[in-house]
This record gives sequence, structure tokens and C-alpha cells, in this order.
Amino acid sequence: MLGGYMGRILKVDLTAGTLKSELISEDIAKKYLGGKGYAVYILYNYLKEYESKGISPSDINPLGPENVLIFATGPGTGVPGFPCSGRYHVMALRSPLTGSIGSANSGGEWGPFLKFSGYDMIVVEGASEDPVYLSIVNGVAELRSAGDLWGKNVFDTCRILSRRVGGKNTSVACIGPAGENLVRMACIVNDEHRAAGRTGLGAVMGSKKLKAIVVSGDEKVPVANPDEFREVSRRCLETMRKNRVTGEGLPTYGTSILINVINTAGGLPYKNWQTGVNPYADKISGETLAETYLTGRRACWGCTIGCGRVTSVPSGPFQIIGTEGPEYESIWALGGSTGVKDLDAIVKANHYCDEFGMDPISLGSTIAAAMELYERGYIPKEDLQGLDLRFGNSAALVEAVWRTAYRVGFGKYLALGSKKLCEIYGHPELSMSVKGLEMPAYDPRAMKGIGLEYATANRGGCHVTGYTVSAEILGIPEKIDPLTPDGKAKWAKLFQDFTCVVNSTVNCLFSTFALGVKDYADLLSAVTGWSLSDGEILRIGERIYNLERVIINRLGFDGKDDTLPRRLLEEPMPEGPAKGHVVELDKMKEEYYKLRGWVNGVPTADKLKELEIEL
Amino acid sequence: MSNVSVKVLLFATFRKKYGSKELTIECDGTLKGLIESASRILGGEFYSDVYNSERGMVRDDLIFTVNGRNIKDLKGDIELKDGDVVAIFPPLAGGINSSKLIEV
Repeated sequence: MLGGYMGRILKVDLTAGTLKSELISEDIAKKYLGGKGYAVYILYNYLKEYESKGISPSDINPLGPENVLIFATGPGTGVPGFPCSGRYHVMALRSPLTGSIGSANSGGEWGPFLKFSGYDMIVVEGASEDPVYLSIVNGVAELRSAGDLWGKNVFDTCRILSRRVGGKNTSVACIGPAGENLVRMACIVNDEHRAAGRTGLGAVMGSKKLKAIVVSGDEKVPVANPDEFREVSRRCLETMRKNRVTGEGLPTYGTSILINVINTAGGLPYKNWQTGVNPYADKISGETLAETYLTGRRACWGCTIGCGRVTSVPSGPFQIIGTEGPEYESIWALGGSTGVKDLDAIVKANHYCDEFGMDPISLGSTIAAAMELYERGYIPKEDLQGLDLRFGNSAALVEAVWRTAYRVGFGKYLALGSKKLCEIYGHPELSMSVKGLEMPAYDPRAMKGIGLEYATANRGGCHVTGYTVSAEILGIPEKIDPLTPDGKAKWAKLFQDFTCVVNSTVNCLFSTFALGVKDYADLLSAVTGWSLSDGEILRIGERIYNLERVIINRLGFDGKDDTLPRRLLEEPMPEGPAKGHVVELDKMKEEYYKLRGWVNGVPTADKLKELEIEL
Repeated sequence: MSNVSVKVLLFATFRKKYGSKELTIECDGTLKGLIESASRILGGEFYSDVYNSERGMVRDDLIFTVNGRNIKDLKGDIELKDGDVVAIFPPLAGGINSSKLIEV
């Protein structure tokens, strides 16, 4: 058996109600690893098949049965001793939020337990007429009626299915009401509080009437060279333990420690990105969370970091007991971006995002866009139906979250995402999104590299496609000046290619604060038995990024879409250390395309040939 | 160099350890002078937490900013001015002095 893989892919046709097991191909695994990479390869082949049948990619309805949804683990997932290997990746041919490729990643326990159930991946096509859930227990897969689960929230669904299946290694990934209601920023939530959050993949599940996937099993992931792996694993885990970020910073404060760090650098977007300095940042910071509502922490499967926060708001109008989060991004999106400075309201809004199954980044940004539209007089008051969407209104924030999940009142507009919302009200420039995906919590006027990264990220406005903030602000692996565009193209490309390796392994990006390409090459070599150098795995990452780019090109995205909202290109930052700065995108993009071997955002034939991508 | 008044902001574990979020420090305008003056208020351990005496510079594993700019990004000798804001983050998120975590 191939080291690191269970060797099987489950193919589910929801229209026909059939299940089929296929073997993992070693040739494809060697070229694309697993997780995101293998899924991109499968999606490209679906696209090719559709084209051969005369179906144009642009005719694929993201919420139609023709969309394809893939849940994928990689060779690192679920291997004891492989650092932070508790994750899985989800992809779809088209995102209902953006129209581009759908892509998201989640932690918790679901990824490893899928492997323990006997499968590396699940490919879902078609759509069911009635609600169903998929059960995979020790290699036995079944589709069952979810009539009794439809309408239930994430917590109920996870608990009911976990109890129904029983067993030690049991985990549920599901959608809540937002996914059922086809809310464009609906996510897939597993283990109650972990989410494949971005690009609206929960709505894709909802459109297929697939309520949940429960996995359970006791199989072990094979390792090709156990002795070699034990040694590499020991070295890497020791490196992570000694590292200030993975051994101390993230365990102690979680991701929200970044609120003050990024605000100090003048790059914490405030009130729909009107500035990068939030005067109330400290009130919603990781330090304040630790002093107020933090009650504990929670780690994903196999994780030595444990960045997850367990919190409670013990009293008051936003009381909520025993929830998880909020993380840096959700604090920013639901708080900083909306001007809300009450941390209890942010904890509650974040809880609702988990309960109903929505991406807090896209939701918070959409609410912030609505607030700016309203304050500028572009949304008539009567459209809001009593929702007082002014910046800083905590009660309106929390109210808007559930209204969106159920598409009630103004929630029906919020449920479309910021791009559509701003188009409807005649001001598309106020959507702070790239390719229709709302950008996360870093203003690129204060850190230029992340601007190039947002613009060129295949799935849209995303920081974890290539986290240049690591070098620009945190100084990892080396400190570079955030305010210059010079040299950023090299970093954006490197981070993007390496991140493809991590997301195809599949494990946690946070491991890369301590582990480098060489460590990954050694870990993957020992697990799979292949002899992989650092150069070779970066080439695999580059191959994956280019094939994903080919897919979005076919979906109609090219260089014109590799851009940023006008505000970031033309409105100088009004205050703070980046005062007067805009993003010099054209200059960085020209250099980036040259390094990538792309013309106008499209890989050249020579580049594809060099990377051995056969179209 | 004449004396200047600088606002110093402490974050994360430094807040708990030194029982302060924000203080105003009079100093000679150099970073070393600022840290020495702050140590007189916060205690001698602050000096070693923030300054590397052997190398004669602010510790490499901190995030240390002047008016929001990381001192690693500032060219030449840093001269503090009246009203400058210095932010100091303990070594929790960066600058771990390992230049090749990612082999470029």
C-alpha cells in the first residue's frame, strides 16, 4: 500500500444515489500529492469532460447538480507524529459566491477520521431530490435520509449524527440553516466549531441536499519508512516546541494576538477599509479576550499548538456560555470592519456564524459594506426593515447575522455577499473583495506584498493562499519592509507555491512558522517512501497553483481580475504609519507574472510544459 | 542630545509581567536610553527582556516599533522625538533569528 494514503476515493453520485470506490493513482499522487492538489487535478478533468460534451465552463451553475464538490485529505493527514496533521481541504468547480473555483480548509478531527474510515477523498456530483447524509464507517459508505436533520443547526446535527454512529473516532461535517438556504457565504462546519469557511461551499452542499457527512473508523494510515519518519517527526516537533510562535505565542494567545500587532502597523482595516487604524483595537484584542471571556483552549487532532479558543460571555445581552473563538479574522470582520467595539457582541456574532454555518470574514465584510452604503445614503432606510446598520452598532451586527442565515428581511441582500449587494445599490466600488471574495484582515496599503497576494490568489481575496504578512510584519522567515513594493513578487510566488504543498499534504499552515520546505520534503519522503527534495516539492506546489489557474482561466478569470478594490489603489491611507500609501499593484504584478511565466494572468504553453501539466 | 518624552505601549505577556499597558518615559532620545529609563520604572528585568547587551541592540526576537514602523525596517540610527510612540511586543510572533525557515 502507498505510504500516507488509504488508497481509495469514494465517488458519490447524488442524482443516481450511487456510490463507487476508486483507487488512488500513484502517478497522480506523485505529481499533485493529495488534498488540494489531487482535487484540482480531478476538477480539471471534470471541466475537460464537460467541454467535450459541449458544456461551456461558464455555463456551470455553482448551485446546479453539475457542480462537483471534493473533500480531500493528503498523505500527512491523520499520521501520528506528522505535525499539525488534523486538517482536510474542500474544493468545488465553482463557488456560488465568486463564480471562480471554490476552495476552503478546515481543522478539527474530521480529516483524520475520514482516513481512519478507509478513504482519502470523497468526490460528490449530482444533486439529491430529498435531504440526505453520507455515512462512512470502517469502509462501509451509505447514503441515508436526512429528513429529520434538515432545518437543524450545526450543533444539533453534529451531536445527533455522532450519537447515531457512535464509536471513538467519529466526526461530522455538515451545513446549518445558511447552507440549506443557499446563503452565498455559507460554510461547511465540522466538530461544531471548525469550518471550511471560505467561498460558500456550504451553499454547494445545500444545493445538493447533502446535509452532512459522518465518518468513523479504526484503520491506520500506513507509513512507508517508519524509522526514518520517527526521526524526522521528532526533529520537527522539537523545532515547533522551541519556536516562539508555535511553541508559545499561538498556544498562549491564539490568533487574536495579531489585532494589536497589525493595528500598530497601521493595517487593521476599520469601517469597511476607510482606514487601517482602529482606535478601539485594544478593546477587541487577544489580550482583552484573554482577560475577559477566555476560559480554555482546544487543539485539532494531532496538534501540538492548540490555538483554538474556548470562551464564554457570562452575562448581559450577548450572553453565551461555552462557545469557541473568535479568531483574529472573525474578531476583525465582525468587529473592526463593522466598527463594533463590544467584544461580547463579537463573541456572540461569531457563535451564530458557527451555529448557522457562515463564513465570518465574508459575512462581517458584507455587513460592513452595507453599513457604509447606508451611512452614505445609498440604501434607503425602509429596505433595512428596522435594522439600524450604522457602524459600531453591536445589536444590529448580531441581528444581521441570523437574518442573513435565514434570509429574513434585509438578510436576503446580505446573503448574496458584498459584491452583489454593492452592485444592487449602485456602488460596486464599496465591496472590499477580489474576484468576489471578501478580503481578510490586512490592509495592503500598509503591507504591499499581501496586496499582490490578494490580487493574484486563485480563489479571490485571500490571505492564506500565500501569507506574505509572515515576512512583512512577523519577520518569518526574514523581515522585509511592508511599505515597499520592491521584491514582493518573489515572496508572493514562494508563499503561494509552498502553501499549495501544505494544503495538499494536508496539514496546518501554522506549522510553517517553524517548519520550512526542507522539513516538509523530509516528512513527505519518509511517509510516502518517495525521495523528495525541497526543490521538487516546491515544483509540485507550483504545478498545483498553475493547474488551478488554468481552471479559473477557463471559468473566465484572467489578468483583468487580478486586481484590488479602487479604494486600495487610489485612496491614500489617511493615517498611521502607512499614511499616504496606496498599493502599487501594476509594478508588482508585472514582476510577478514574469516570475510565474504568465501573460495577462494566463500560464503560457511553455510554462505548462515545463511543469509537466498536460491539458 | 536633549531629553524627549516618549509614549511606550506594552503588549501580551509584558502587560501582565510589568503591570502596565502604557507609560510615558523621559529619555535621551536613543533606544538604549529609552530602555534604560523604562527599566528604572519597570525593574531591571525589563532591560534584559528588551535589550541584548552583548550585541548592543534591541533584542532581535521582539516586534519593536517606533510610530508603527518596525525598527528593523528603519535605516540608520534611530533618534526618538518628543511625542513618539514606541510599541513593544514580546517574542511571541516573529523575528526568531532563523533566516532560512523557508529555503528560497
